[in-house]
Amino acid sequence: MEQSMKQTLMGNDAIAWGIVHANVDMISGYPGTPSSEILGMVQKIKHQLDLPIYAEWATNEKVGFEVAYAGAIAGKRTVATMKQVGLNVASDALMSASYIGNLGGMLLIAADDPGFHSSQTEQDSRVFAKFARIPVLDPATPQDAYDMTKYGVELSERFQVPVMLRPVMRVDHAREIIEMDAETHFTPNTGAFQRDVARWAGVPRAGRLQQGYDVLDRIETIKAYNWEHHLQPKFDALTGGKLLILAGGTGYAFTLETLADLGVDADVVKIEMPYPLPAEKIKARFDAYEKILVVEEPYPLIEEDLAHPKLYGKKTGTMHKIDEMKKEHILFALQKLGVYEGANIYEVPKFDLGFDVPDRPPALCPGCPHRDIYYAIMKVFKKKKSIYPSDIGCYTLALSQGAIDSILCMGASVAMASGFSIADPSKTVVATIGDGTFFHSGIPPLLNAVYQNHRFILIILDNSTIAMTGRQGTPERFHQNIDIAKIVEGMGITCYEHTYSHEMEENIDFMKHIKSEFEKPEHQGPLVVRVRQFCILDNERKDDWIPNLFAEVDPEKCVACDSCTTVYKCPPMAYNADGKIEIDPFLCAGCGGCLDVVCPTDAFQLDVIKSKGGAS
Amino acid sequence: MKYQIVIAGFGGQGVVFLVKVLALCAGNRDLTFLGTENHGMSQRGGAVSCDIKVGDFTNPVIDNGQADLIIGLDPNETLRNLHLLKQDAYVVSNSDRPFPELPFHVALSDGNAKALAGEFPIQGLNAYMLGVALASVENFPFTIDEVETALRQINAKVADQNIAIVHQAMGDVAGRK
Repeated sequence: MEQSMKQTLMGNDAIAWGIVHANVDMISGYPGTPSSEILGMVQKIKHQLDLPIYAEWATNEKVGFEVAYAGAIAGKRTVATMKQVGLNVASDALMSASYIGNLGGMLLIAADDPGFHSSQTEQDSRVFAKFARIPVLDPATPQDAYDMTKYGVELSERFQVPVMLRPVMRVDHAREIIEMDAETHFTPNTGAFQRDVARWAGVPRAGRLQQGYDVLDRIETIKAYNWEHHLQPKFDALTGGKLLILAGGTGYAFTLETLADLGVDADVVKIEMPYPLPAEKIKARFDAYEKILVVEEPYPLIEEDLAHPKLYGKKTGTMHKIDEMKKEHILFALQKLGVYEGANIYEVPKFDLGFDVPDRPPALCPGCPHRDIYYAIMKVFKKKKSIYPSDIGCYTLALSQGAIDSILCMGASVAMASGFSIADPSKTVVATIGDGTFFHSGIPPLLNAVYQNHRFILIILDNSTIAMTGRQGTPERFHQNIDIAKIVEGMGITCYEHTYSHEMEENIDFMKHIKSEFEKPEHQGPLVVRVRQFCILDNERKDDWIPNLFAEVDPEKCVACDSCTTVYKCPPMAYNADGKIEIDPFLCAGCGGCLDVVCPTDAFQLDVIKSKGGAS
Repeated sequence: MKYQIVIAGFGGQGVVFLVKVLALCAGNRDLTFLGTENHGMSQRGGAVSCDIKVGDFTNPVIDNGQADLIIGLDPNETLRNLHLLKQDAYVVSNSDRPFPELPFHVALSDGNAKALAGEFPIQGLNAYMLGVALASVENFPFTIDEVETALRQINAKVADQNIAIVHQAMGDVAGRK
């Protein structure tokens, strides 16, 4: 038996330790909240302990999955990590991988985000596991996440199919004291690809049809395993009664607390593997209860698989149908089922502030160059005459500047620019995309635009980092020969280059130049711009860029016109009690971007003392 | 024991640092600890709050009307999260203005003014408000000794400065009483 130790860990760090303690040789993936810290933490552990692990980011989730999957075919233990919408990108590979299977264990980690905290959809990756017919594990806590990571790798090796681990944000970004192996005895697995054309290169119809039958058999085997190893021991320990609660993942963690808070008695079964479920065996145990409630998130997966007249959940309107789990939702369900008649203890205490607390809408960081570039774009390409498709990344926050008209998914800005340019040629389409997103999925649509001669402007905001998810590197940061300009030129078009300037006039002049180039009668197809810039949180690079020009407001000149608070939108700028704009000295980053142009009455001026390094 | 704490502020103020300090305090005493972070897409300057549950809990989220204490590093972020408090909970907040009458025990301190006056660097605002909480909250779950130990564990290099700021805050509260 391994010695164990206790440590306070965030869920994603616990998963990373689980990966190392499961002897995983290769981990690949793409950053995405709430999954991003997993791979970064494996990198840290690998360097600390000098372990022979491949732990590297891929250009997108599909690439990351395929790297890891090939490793598992060749006998290594592997992990692919991504967020739930990243799995959409990797899904093509996943669907086939389920048919073909693997030899070494492969864990696919798809982190869900119920409540849309930082995702464009609230999709349920467990449903994707069912769609692909692979087993899925649903951890309730960071401790579960550690244990299930190790277990999932073993399970994948046992059944020769990728296994999904589906932690939600409240597991990834939760912190608790967990018990884990005290020592790391990493034992690498041998990679030795064995040729088996019928299996690894199965083609339609005969080869894939046979694999399809194998998938169905395998799922039945895993169902039986799920019953024997997970569910039957739990059901056998119960005596029956008024209410049975079947709870998956965080649903279990929330259910236990709600029952304790309310003093309600119910039997609770934790569903650790929500797919594949041995439905008939579970339903046979319903006889011992009056009602059964399913608590899971975000989709009614367990509920649909166990459809039964006594079963309640989202589909019966008993549980909430969208947004993340709260104890209050379970309280309401218990009221509806008639097992709790007390008060709503989760009600907000009664008080009246007498005023509304001002909003703090999401905004770009103080000192972020995206703000200045978007300001220059809008100044030159007027809103009424333009369409601004944008993409997924920090720069999405330029929404608050009114500088973005559409957001769909990673890489969509480019092809949407194509579509808008065809549908509404009276407007100039100015699309923006970050360098990370361009590498992820912006290149094929740009090729298409050149190929089909679509007329729009694409501005690549190149800060050499995937900033929003915690500043992971982009390909060109670590491999300097990768050059966005050369990629664009390789398509046979010019790549216009600009370097961000803290003097707004220079950014505006450059955009004016681009406008005149685009409007030349001889110009055809897409016009691509690469703006070299930086991330204000990037400690390796920001000092080369930030001029340390701190701003203050001349209250005599401020006429409270709202220009800075509506179009420039820098968080330190706010009205004070006198109705004048004031700059929060603790928030101002010293970028100097607001000192010219931004204020129509020129009220922003240099805080000379602070800019020389003194106190304001 | 069951004690639930909300820490609120905006990105860059060191909200998560306080969570780590309190997590270490709990771990050192072998208490169960669950915590989670709430933040949107923005990083610097965006609203951030953290939930901390010490004791016999199974999920990390604090529901409405449940918290025993909020430590706020910004007045608006404090006010925005009051719905999480139970009756008679404690509100410890950095604020340049008084709060309206509330059904809670309120302890306010103008940390920004003190930092501007050079009493401590603004990066120490989180440690300062932790000191205000230690001195103002009757049933605060950890002692000053436990907090000092945790501050040394988390970052030995800046521990002396942080500990001095915590004591400064406690002294300020005692002087006011």
